[in-house]
Amino acid sequence: MPPSTDVISGTLDLLILKALSLEPMHGWGIAQRIEQTSRGVFRVNAGSLFLAFKRLEREGCVKADWRESDNNRRAKYYRITETGRKQLRAEQHDWERRAAAVTRMLAATS
Amino acid sequence: MSFITRTRAGFRDLFSRSRVDRDLDDEVAHFIEQAAAANRAKGMSEAEALRAARASLGSATAAKDPARSYGWDVALETLLMDVRYAVRYLAKTPSFTAAAALSLALGIGANTAIFSMVDAMLIRHYPFLRSEEVVSVTPPNGQVFSYPAFDDVRHAQTSLTGFAAFGGITVSMSDAEATDLVPGYIVTGNYFDVLGISPLRGRLISADDDRTPGAHPVAVISQALWKRRYGGTRDIVGKPVRLNGQQYTIIGVTPKGFNGTLTGAARDVYVPMMQQSWMRPPRAGYSGEMNPDLLKSRTNTWLFGLGRLKPGVSVAQATASLQSIMSGMSDFAPRNNTQGSQPATVTRVDDGPPGQRAQLVSVARLLSAIVFIVLLIACANVANLLLARATGRRKEIAMRLALGATRARLVRQLLAESVVLGAIGGALGLGLAWVGIRALQASPPPPGALPVTLDFATDVPVLAFTFALAVSTGIVFGLFPALRASRAELVPALKDQASSASTGRRYMTARNGLVVAQVLLSFVLLVSSGLFIRSLERTRALSPEFDVDKLVTVPLNIQLLRYTRDQGKQFYREVIDRVDALPGVASATLMRWVPLSGAGSIGSLHLEGRGGPENNFHSEGGGFNTTNPAVVSQDIVGLDFFKTMGIALNAGRDFSSADAEGAPPVAIVNEEFAKLHYGSESAVGKRISLSGPNGPWIEIIGVSANSKYTALAEPRARLVYLPAAQNHVNGMTLVVRAKADPRGIAESVGKEVHALDPSLPVAGTRTMGDVVGVSIYAARAGAALVTGFGVLALVLAAVGLYGVLGYTVSRRTREFGLRIALGANAGDVVRQVIGEGVGLVACGVLAGLVLALSLSHLLARFLFDVSTRDALTYVGTPAVLFVVAVIACLMPARRAARVDPVIAMKSD
Repeated sequence: MPPSTDVISGTLDLLILKALSLEPMHGWGIAQRIEQTSRGVFRVNAGSLFLAFKRLEREGCVKADWRESDNNRRAKYYRITETGRKQLRAEQHDWERRAAAVTRMLAATS
Repeated sequence: MSFITRTRAGFRDLFSRSRVDRDLDDEVAHFIEQAAAANRAKGMSEAEALRAARASLGSATAAKDPARSYGWDVALETLLMDVRYAVRYLAKTPSFTAAAALSLALGIGANTAIFSMVDAMLIRHYPFLRSEEVVSVTPPNGQVFSYPAFDDVRHAQTSLTGFAAFGGITVSMSDAEATDLVPGYIVTGNYFDVLGISPLRGRLISADDDRTPGAHPVAVISQALWKRRYGGTRDIVGKPVRLNGQQYTIIGVTPKGFNGTLTGAARDVYVPMMQQSWMRPPRAGYSGEMNPDLLKSRTNTWLFGLGRLKPGVSVAQATASLQSIMSGMSDFAPRNNTQGSQPATVTRVDDGPPGQRAQLVSVARLLSAIVFIVLLIACANVANLLLARATGRRKEIAMRLALGATRARLVRQLLAESVVLGAIGGALGLGLAWVGIRALQASPPPPGALPVTLDFATDVPVLAFTFALAVSTGIVFGLFPALRASRAELVPALKDQASSASTGRRYMTARNGLVVAQVLLSFVLLVSSGLFIRSLERTRALSPEFDVDKLVTVPLNIQLLRYTRDQGKQFYREVIDRVDALPGVASATLMRWVPLSGAGSIGSLHLEGRGGPENNFHSEGGGFNTTNPAVVSQDIVGLDFFKTMGIALNAGRDFSSADAEGAPPVAIVNEEFAKLHYGSESAVGKRISLSGPNGPWIEIIGVSANSKYTALAEPRARLVYLPAAQNHVNGMTLVVRAKADPRGIAESVGKEVHALDPSLPVAGTRTMGDVVGVSIYAARAGAALVTGFGVLALVLAAVGLYGVLGYTVSRRTREFGLRIALGANAGDVVRQVIGEGVGLVACGVLAGLVLALSLSHLLARFLFDVSTRDALTYVGTPAVLFVVAVIACLMPARRAARVDPVIAMKSD
């Protein structure tokens, strides 16, 4: 069985927000960053990605700006909002807590 | 915050769907472009880079879909699309839509009308503050309070925050403009406090208005009277008005919808208890010149108790506490030995008077059950139509399934259609109900005909009920056909073949089953109608046993104006003289109780030399049912009573002018009285006492034929007639026999009365025919309602049968063609189709017979003198059903017989 490249369920929003916390990006850029930063462990499905953008937009965590792309196309750039940063902190904290717990469980020898 | 953002964003997207779609397209395109650029950088060729980029995305639709269908706005849009599609489809099949919507409209309309009636009867609560705390208090042995007894209880009781009393009054209300007879209450100062209502205008009666006897001439009027009599003028507070001839000031108006605290006729005027000597005229049975002071009399019981429970005190606790107080008081001892001892009762006013509530609940249940059955029949009709149509749509549905629509999506689509149908039916039904309610309002029941005032309103609860009903019926009747249709067999459907035999048969079985159910249900309703009609027949067949034609009754309310005894006698003499002199009058007389009006009086009876009950009593009102031989019903009548009423005298003589005051007291008894007490002996010459064992003794001078007393359907009453001259009471009713039309004479009689005393309200003039009509109104209204719904059910079932047979015939054209080609004649075909229809009806009737026989005992309480297994009804109903069934089958059968074999064989 080839190793799974699915993003861990429930963490896609966290990864997107983290990526955007550094700089505004467009969709493909975000996908690339997740793939590269995770060194290929995660590959984002496009459908899930666009759904996550819509969800984050609705929740007010990100805002979109339209810019001109190199080929004179409309390009959608996302940037994180204050709400998004708050959400990121909360989710990051939550993730670290839970990941540490899983790690402890797996490291336990007795 | 996040909720608001989401909602706002949803709205923005909702109204700019094309922009949203374009944005997503652009975003995806840019994504591909970026991916392709990255691929090119890795050294791919232009075309290869683009292909790889596209491939990484999967299909463009798959990538866009999740985002596109995210959010409440999208869900709403899908729903709207379903509805739009449904409307378009329904509009394409107008005859189907009309038939289905009309069926539903009839079913829903019937339910809405009855719901608004039930709402008016039972559900609408009193407009009191925390009305669940307000209780009515009835003393032990079903008695009412005298004022001193009430006052004792008020001071002793501990379970109520306030204990108030009220008594019914009818006052003459007059000013320069008009004289009216107005029903009202005389209330203690804390009455409105206990109820917790606030005035619409001015103020209500308070404890300060109820301190000194005779010193508080103030009155509160109802909102209805304010509108009706005063046109809702602003300067109502402070207006003077004469009540029973005495000057009063109106201090306030009660809020809209407040009609007093007993169901029944609405009350329009309220005066303080301390004004009783003017407001509460001498009881008719009282023969003195002066009022007894009701504030001091313990023998005059006339007040109803009303309290508000202390917080945390339950009805049961209050009952126990009040019972222990009142059971110790001699006021509430049982009236005679034959009466058992009953405890005091405390009931929430929301529940209405205890007996009446139960009565109304059973009527409400009956009507609701009936209209619910009508609705079920209507739903079966629509389900049947939907099933028929589903067959026609097989191809369309199979196509959509083949193209990848999910079954859930299809069921939702089909359900949307039936819910839209339900909504159309609901809207039409509301219109029908509104028309029906208007018709009912246009001919309201005559006063006193029903125990409640039916104040219909198409208000929020009624609208909510209709809406819920429409939507839920849409789902209920639509679900089954939708599930059915979405299970279409793809291959034969797409090949445009007639459906396989099994599917066809399944459809037919379902449709035949629905028709059988319809027949069954309508059979049950028709049996109910039949029983009600039979019951009405029996009620109508009852004879009043006097000559009802050409009689008119005119209440003379002189007791309101506090005529003295001599003034009263004088007045009655003059009225009779004047009316007798009118052309068109055959004869005129006076009587205390108008027969069949529900009112009467009973008293203790002593036969000379035989003894009688130990205590002596007399009671006036309605609802007496005395089997006790020591109790006798009484009436006080003027001269010419028997002649005017057309009641024969079987023995002895009539009253004459010689039987005047001071002459030996005399009485006439009816046949029933004579038979019970004297058997074969002659009653004439015997003496009785109505005032205890020591007389005065009254000689029986005559025996009259039996006649009805308070109601048509009463056990035979034993009656004593007393002459008015020797037993004067103020409060008699004038009865006039006209030579021709009694309505024509009523007006001139009224004029004579008015001429004698202009301040006397002449109200409540009725022909005796009207009085009889009122007494059987409930039976007639019940029969009319139940029969109406029965006929409605029959029509709906007939339409269902017609629809199914018509459809069968159209599907079996080939078969009929073949039969005709093989030599069957038209008669054979007609017989076959009718036979099939009648077979379905027979199944329904058989099942209906079983159901009706096992349920009909529930109707027993509504029926008079008719067995719930009345043979005529059970024979007649199937007959009616079969006749209607044959008529419904006739058209499809003729169509089948006209099939041209050549065309039929070629088709398909």
